[in-house]
Amino acid sequence: MGPQHPMTHGLWNLRVRIDGETILDCDPEMGYLHRGIEKISEDRHYNEVVTLMDRCCYVAGFSWEHLYILGAEEALHIEPPERAEYLRVLCDEFQRIGSHLMWYAAFVQDLGLMSPFLYGMRDRDLVLDLFQSYTGARMTYEYMRVGGVRNDLPPGFSDRARGVLDWLMARFVEYDQLCLGSTIFRKRCDHLGVLKAADCVTHGVTGPMIRSAGVKRDLRKDRPYSAYDRLEFDIAVADGADVTARYLVRMEEMRQSVRILRQVLDWLDRHPGPVIAAQLPRWLGAPYAPIGNEGYLLKRHYPKGVGFSAIEEPHGEALAYVVNEGGEHPYRVKFRSPVFANLSAARQYLVGYHVADIPPIMGSVDVCVGEVDR
Amino acid sequence: MSAAPVPAGAAKPAPATLGLPMGADLPMAEAPAVPFVEIEALRAKEFIPAAKEALGALIAEQGQSRVIRPVFNWAGRNSLFPLHWGLACCAIEFAAAFGARWDAERFGVVPRSSPRQCDLMIVNGTVTWKVAHKLITLYEQMPEPKWVIAMGNCATGGGPFRTAYSVVPGVDKLVPVDVYIAGCPPRPEAMLEGILKLEELIRERKE
Amino acid sequence: MTSQPQTPEELAAYLAPRLGDRLLGVEPFPETLGRVRFRREGALDLFRAMRDDLTFGHCSTVAGIDWVDHREVVYILWSDAARRYVLLSADLPADDPRIETACAIWPSANWHEREAWELVDITFEHHPDLRHLLMPDGYAFHPLLRSFKLHEPEELEVKSRRV
Repeated sequence: MGPQHPMTHGLWNLRVRIDGETILDCDPEMGYLHRGIEKISEDRHYNEVVTLMDRCCYVAGFSWEHLYILGAEEALHIEPPERAEYLRVLCDEFQRIGSHLMWYAAFVQDLGLMSPFLYGMRDRDLVLDLFQSYTGARMTYEYMRVGGVRNDLPPGFSDRARGVLDWLMARFVEYDQLCLGSTIFRKRCDHLGVLKAADCVTHGVTGPMIRSAGVKRDLRKDRPYSAYDRLEFDIAVADGADVTARYLVRMEEMRQSVRILRQVLDWLDRHPGPVIAAQLPRWLGAPYAPIGNEGYLLKRHYPKGVGFSAIEEPHGEALAYVVNEGGEHPYRVKFRSPVFANLSAARQYLVGYHVADIPPIMGSVDVCVGEVDR
Repeated sequence: MSAAPVPAGAAKPAPATLGLPMGADLPMAEAPAVPFVEIEALRAKEFIPAAKEALGALIAEQGQSRVIRPVFNWAGRNSLFPLHWGLACCAIEFAAAFGARWDAERFGVVPRSSPRQCDLMIVNGTVTWKVAHKLITLYEQMPEPKWVIAMGNCATGGGPFRTAYSVVPGVDKLVPVDVYIAGCPPRPEAMLEGILKLEELIRERKE
Repeated sequence: MTSQPQTPEELAAYLAPRLGDRLLGVEPFPETLGRVRFRREGALDLFRAMRDDLTFGHCSTVAGIDWVDHREVVYILWSDAARRYVLLSADLPADDPRIETACAIWPSANWHEREAWELVDITFEHHPDLRHLLMPDGYAFHPLLRSFKLHEPEELEVKSRRV
């Protein structure tokens, strides 16, 4: 089934061995979108790799930018200012809502429900309008830099953002009515694709899939990064470990994101400040270095180091390992994609079900091929 | 219905009714003397020869290419069926173009899952060597006439990944491309403009 | 559990009796339990100790790095009980980059090791299914080696052919 198949939502091939309607074995075949991002990054300036990270996982671009930037900042021993950290959290959480809305639109379309697809895309366009207002682009933002972010928010953003959040909270109620209230949805999704907690851990499955199995694991709480230790929110967990549970987890995550965003917007309104580090070396941020630091800039000082960062991406746990051997290009960047691991466990949650169950189950896994293949 | 002019101020006449109580069945007309199918056949018997005659006269006067070809072009360009597939980031903008804000289906563009039913292949995303064989197979499975739109920088010339070891530097190395849409990713409006450009191209088709 | 090591030094003291001289040291690494450098002969013992005794039951990733004169393989593990990461790092000689597979201990390492073999040419012995994952079958190169150079964009112009 693939690489051209309406179920796949991307370029990958699911080879399934069946007996009648029952699945006996399956083998996901990846690599149709392998673009060698890790290899190309070795020829790029640290800030230029950010453009590749947008395209790495295209539905969650800000999260991957954030992941790489955290690793690069650790490798280069640079600290961003606090306002930049809150701005990054703003981007992350809006991106989480956008990614989950895209997941929702594609997932319900696979089940045959057309109206929620249109509603999901419409609401996602509202979030993308917000992104466009301060980065200039809907999907490939190139907004974060080593040491901070590129620019601050435009005036009036906070009111527009709060309007969108209020609109979205009302829409989530509608979405639940449309889906959980639909007998067809429940019959197709309950008790499907079960992956229990112990199997999740041994097979490296993270994110909404492990939270749907009842495990309260979220890197934003377990190993807080950026401003998450100063924000108040709950982890979305569900029992059941099936497709409906994953749906419930993602819906609740969107609500928690709205909660986080309201706190972040309040903070951003009250604390103006710089959005990029003041003492950046010239080779890293010449246009942004303020006048008066020329003495610092004249030294061409290339630090060495290794940066390791982990974030809770909308699909799960993503890691970056950035090796910096001096110089303006990273020596090696290694990314761990959550969907890579979630897909590698396909045998566990697909075998034994029917062929018609493949679209809901793979939809609940939320495959984004760009980050699997990198 | 012809109504006699009513002087201003006069009471409006009561609407015509059948005088039946609520819930009663409406009286149906008597069964026609000639059954429906035969009526249609009679009409066809008269219409088709008349149409042939008129069309023949027009073709004799103006030449086939000026009569038949524009009709085919009109039908083809207003019902482009792209293949339902997405390669990379541009596919998300492709999907957004089918949402409620930029409704692509109003142009007659309906994505079809099977290449046998498509006449348009929008290559939206990076083409790798691993998928090149499958892309050419899909292209060959599409029946003539068919068109290819290269959407996005990756399909046009490799995009940001041009130097990668696994990326085809542009899909025109594999299949002939009719329209290139630049952008990384192109906005849904840009994709719709590309489709409209293709429609202009089809309008000018001569054979 | 009070017996769980909390710092890199405690981890080194905990692992030393199990690994002996196959443990090369534990360096501090920010916001993790530490970075364990070990010799590849001690791989399985170290993995078992990590998973069974130290509750690192989740193998997040296996990364391969090509330092031209040797290769390095890095395992990143997560512990739910201790809520933190630990890194394991082994150096492999460039002419013989083999190490025992971790699939028997953590099934999640399966695909990561396939990718590490494919890109950085590290052979994982007794891996159940070591074949190409991201590149087409039969691809003869290991792209992320430093000796594999990419083209310049201008060199990639070829005449397009009509299909």
